[in-house]
Formats: sequence, C-alpha cells, structure tokens
Amino acid sequence: MNELYIMASFILRNSAIRGIASAVPAATEGLDDLSRVFGKEEAQKIAQTTGVFSRHIARSDQCASDLCFHAALKLLEALDWDKDSIDVIIFVSTTPDYYTPATSCVLQGRLEISKNCAAFDIPLGCSGYIYGLWNAASSIAAGGKRVLLMVGETSSKFASPLDKSTMPLFGDAGTATAIEFEKDREMYFELGTDGNGYKHLIVPAGGFRQRHSAVTANRTIREGGNIRSDEEVFMNGAEIFTFILREVPAVLKKVLASAKWNIEDVDAFVLHQANRFINQFLLKKMKLRPDRVPYSLEEFGNTSSASIPLTISHALRQLMQKEETRLVLCGFGVGLSWGAVALECGPLIMPEIGFV
Amino acid sequence: MTARKFYTHLEFILELEPNTIHGTEALQDFEGWDSLSKLSFIAMGDAELDTIVSAEALSGCKTVADLVGLFDGKIAHKE
Repeated sequence: MNELYIMASFILRNSAIRGIASAVPAATEGLDDLSRVFGKEEAQKIAQTTGVFSRHIARSDQCASDLCFHAALKLLEALDWDKDSIDVIIFVSTTPDYYTPATSCVLQGRLEISKNCAAFDIPLGCSGYIYGLWNAASSIAAGGKRVLLMVGETSSKFASPLDKSTMPLFGDAGTATAIEFEKDREMYFELGTDGNGYKHLIVPAGGFRQRHSAVTANRTIREGGNIRSDEEVFMNGAEIFTFILREVPAVLKKVLASAKWNIEDVDAFVLHQANRFINQFLLKKMKLRPDRVPYSLEEFGNTSSASIPLTISHALRQLMQKEETRLVLCGFGVGLSWGAVALECGPLIMPEIGFV
Repeated sequence: MTARKFYTHLEFILELEPNTIHGTEALQDFEGWDSLSKLSFIAMGDAELDTIVSAEALSGCKTVADLVGLFDGKIAHKE
C-alpha cells in the first residue's frame, strides 16, 4: 500500500489555540524515594536512562480532574472568557473520577460553565492530547465557537511502587487548553491506531472484562523481578519501543508533508514525554535540532496525555507568550494509539504552572 | 556488518570488556541483559542495521547467535 494512505489525515480549518495552563501536585518524589525501593545504584541507572529525576505525585484525595480544574480556572481568568461563551468541554484522561458519570460533566458543574454546553470524555493516554485537539477543532468546524480542552492524568496511582518498569517513570499533571474560532487558521492532523498491540500497555483488571477481585488485587512477582497486581499498569517496554520506531518517524514525516513544512520551518517539536532514551533516539533519527525539542521529563516525569501541554507550559512559555510559533505536536503510546498535529498559534495566554 | 562489529556493539550495550563475545554465549549469563539493555539493542538494530527487530522474537532469543539471526542475513557469519 502507498505510504501516503496508511494514516488517517485531516485538515481542520478556522480553529486556533488561545491559551494553555498546567497544574501539578505540590508533592514530589525523587531519586531518594527510588533508591529506597530499588537501591541507589539501580535508581541512578534508571534515572539516567529515563531522564526522570523528580515526579509530582497526587495526594490520595487528588484526581486528574482536580488538577485540570485548577489549570482551567487560571486559564479562563487570564483569558477573561465569559463562562457562558464555552460551547464544548472535553476531558481527556485514563484516570477519570468515576466509571460513570463522565468527568467532563462533573467539571462543567464545578467550573460553573453554561448548561448550553456539550461535554464528553476521551479515555486515551499518551496520544490523548492530539485526539483532544482534533475533537476540539472538529467541534469548531461543525459550528462551535469556544472549546475548553482539559487533559490530565494521575498515572502514579495505577503504577505499582515495586515495579521498576513503570513506577520511576509516571508523574501526575492536569492541563487546560482554550481553542477558539479564528477564520482561516488551519491544523493538520495525522492519526493512527493499532489495537493488536493493546496488551503491551494495559491495566488488565478492575474494568468490566476482568472485574476487581481479591485475586486481581494481589501483588505477585512478575518478569524481571517486578512486583505488581493485575489492577496495576503493565508495560512491555520492548514492544512499545518497536511500535514507536515503526510509527512515530512516519507520522512526523507525514504531518510535515501535509502542512508543506520542512523540519527547519518548525519552532518546536513537542513530543510525548515517553522517556529520555526514546525521545533522544527519535530526535537523532529524525535529525531534529535539540534546541527545538523541549522536555519536561526531568522535573515532571512521563505524565501520559498531559505531557505535551505540560511541556509547552514548562519549556515554551517565554517564547509562546510573545511570539507566533509553528508547532508539531506528537503523542504515541497506550492503545496502541498515535497522532500528530502541525499548527501555528500565538502569542498565547500562558499562566505559570500551578502547584496544588 | 561484520559479526565482530555486531559483537562490539553488544559488548558496549552490556558494558563488557572488548573481545569478550564470540557468538555462542547464552544471554542469561550476561548480568547486563535486562529490559534497559534490550531497548539499547533495539535502538542499535534500527540505527546501525536499519532493522526494527520484533520484540516478540527478541524475547525468544537465548544466545548471541539468536540475536544475529534477527537481522536476516545482514550480519556476516565470519568475525
């Protein structure tokens, strides 16, 4: 099959990002915490490879929606948007408040946004921000005016503290992005899915396929000496890495071609913060300039769907508050699911990262 | 790529002394053959041999010779 036709391509017109805000839990874990579990030498080795030296960890009573709520309040205030002017609320997360109702409905009430408002959840992880933007821009293409996209995760809650393939990686964060009608602005999307790989990054039990039980909640020794239960996240790092090598360079090339941009035309490639080893490999493989590939891993870890907007808040705030920028954003992981978008935006309203 | 060069890459990934790998070694005897070094091995295959090895096939490899076999004749048999 021709390579040009193997991904779903979309051009969405008349949408622009107006602002981005992020919030993280105030509490952190770092190398000392890793050392206590895995030993000092192993902790150092893990941190050097992953690039994660600190992670912000949610309290037991703190949900992704709480972090998003904080980010959204700050953003709406800074934008001076009337709460009655928002048509659509989208909440993207793999860690919602409840099985039901949708967390977006809860957030509509908490944020006191108009009842004349569509609200829905998207349960995607690492690719979720791209799918959230795609839904936001699609809503505007269908006649909407303003969309509030909230993307957040508390992945630390489903990582076993005794599993070195996940626990040292995941941090928690919540973000809010404001998208608005603007004539002739374009966003170029490329989206893909490979459900045959769903088992490679999964919380196997606790849903409806395999309900919670004493057995599924029991932690046992698994591959590589890792200890976890079936209600905690499993990641097959080798499978995820080969998936990334197969799909991410291709989707980046495709989205650049759709937007008719060269690599040099792009001010920043904001990649999902998988881990430093993987992201550095992608950077070298794609021959991207290191100063145009920002990171938030060192301080915040892998924050799943929130990692792209959090990286923008963390590393691009100074630039994007002042200037119009050309961005390529790319998310990839759990699903398996991936997506990239090329867009121009700014100057943006960007409150400082909140610590809550 | 020559087998020797392939072994040198593997020695680097496993943090072994040069010229310690000769092709018949069992992977389970290498202390450094863990999840992180497997990622480095996959990266090396992509960068140096333009091959994305199957993670499933990699997990089935028992010896250095099995690793050579992942690259479909791209590694010369002689050192």
